[in-house]
Amino acid sequence: MTAHSQPRRSLLNRYWHPLPTLLIAGALSALYFGLTGTVWAVTGEFTRLGGQMLHLFGVDTSGWGYFDLVKIKGTTLTRSDGWIVWGMFAGALVMVLLNNNFRIRVPHQKRRFAQGLLGGVIAGFGARLAMGCNLAAFFTGVPQFSVHAWIFIVGTGVGTFAGTRIITRGWWKGRPRLSAGYVRPTAPRGGRIQPILGAGLAGAYAALTLWFFLSGQTMLGMGALAGALFGVLVERGQICFTSAFRDLWIMGRAVMAKAIIAGMAVSSLLTILAIGVYGIPPITQVAALGTVVGGLLFGVGIVMASSCETGMMFRLMEGQMLYLAVFIGNIAGATLLAYSWDHGVYNLLVAGGQKINLVGLVGPVGAINLTLALLAILYAFIVVREKKHLKAGAKSAPVPTHKGMQDHAN
Amino acid sequence: MQTEAGPDFTLDLRGESCPYPVIYTLETLEGMKKGQLLHVITDCPSSFRNVPEEALRRGYVFARDPVQNGQEYLFYIIA
Repeated sequence: MTAHSQPRRSLLNRYWHPLPTLLIAGALSALYFGLTGTVWAVTGEFTRLGGQMLHLFGVDTSGWGYFDLVKIKGTTLTRSDGWIVWGMFAGALVMVLLNNNFRIRVPHQKRRFAQGLLGGVIAGFGARLAMGCNLAAFFTGVPQFSVHAWIFIVGTGVGTFAGTRIITRGWWKGRPRLSAGYVRPTAPRGGRIQPILGAGLAGAYAALTLWFFLSGQTMLGMGALAGALFGVLVERGQICFTSAFRDLWIMGRAVMAKAIIAGMAVSSLLTILAIGVYGIPPITQVAALGTVVGGLLFGVGIVMASSCETGMMFRLMEGQMLYLAVFIGNIAGATLLAYSWDHGVYNLLVAGGQKINLVGLVGPVGAINLTLALLAILYAFIVVREKKHLKAGAKSAPVPTHKGMQDHAN
Repeated sequence: MQTEAGPDFTLDLRGESCPYPVIYTLETLEGMKKGQLLHVITDCPSSFRNVPEEALRRGYVFARDPVQNGQEYLFYIIA
């Protein structure tokens, strides 16, 4: 059970362990691919949003190569990728409200906003340079057998490591409010209104999704439905790709990293079926120098911002104001990349690249075997790192003696 | 123990986002004298899981079970 489970709570009223949550997310993303031929992704849409904001300010982006690449058509409300994003926001917000957990949370150290904005810009830029964030170039990129995802993971690993060297410095980290004695917590306020709003929002959103299907806009309905389910999953599981890397480097905490790998393994197995049996072509992105550089920048940026593009979404819905700065930064960074694309970035970092897919390279059986082997190696590396860290940082009393807390931790 | 007498220190993490709640909690515990009691107030939902788990993993003992207090959690950890 989780550390916060009270006597008996319904499934929707407690947090979920990251492992089953990510197994479901992995299966769901493979199913989404099988049904639509596209993947769970968000930053491509962020780039389109950035482009359309430029249009609002009268900027003509018709000659911008990157926008041709991500195809700006219609509005965010008429794109299935758009509904993935808004669905994730909606699904997360519904869960937060049902749990009476919304609160405007403002960091007392104002430097956090500058850190979030700066990190958000770097992460947004890096993600788009590599053609995806922790989703399309990672969680849903590996199961597409696109080699660029593996390059991105290595880049992100190194980048997040560098990021942890920055954020653990005193000038970055700052000081907590620590006082002697007792400080009174906030008096809880009547928790009736949030669950009612949450149920209302869930109902309205379900009706909208149903309308998409009934009116023949099947792709929008799929996006809206899958987006909301992903939103529920990331919020209930507190799925944070940043923490998977960062906490492994800082404190040897590996819960999230292990769960992500397990989720990708399940997703890969199901995706190879969709590719092999149903003949749906996998989505392959360019692997180039830009993939490495993008991964590095993304890694540094997400650690500075305390969140990647998906973690930002559910935390913003919890009312964590820091993530407003991160969201703005992410869109600004993606737009900045779109601008620099035709001003040297493409020629320097991407032009020499190639779309490489493991399925094309070694066939479907080879691709799944190789992917599972690589995931196993990654898993082993994480376990070693976790053990090593714990040994180095262990306190004198290795085993907690308080029985009640033991139960809580398991 | 001081459990009944009230905490020696309170770490007020309200408004702080991850990873700082865990980092601050572990650093504070390390700086305290063995046996002293730390009271942690936190409202970052990810910290509801990672603060107690990481404290336990390092062998700290909880003086009492975590308390959910509205949108906050309260932890009572013995250094």
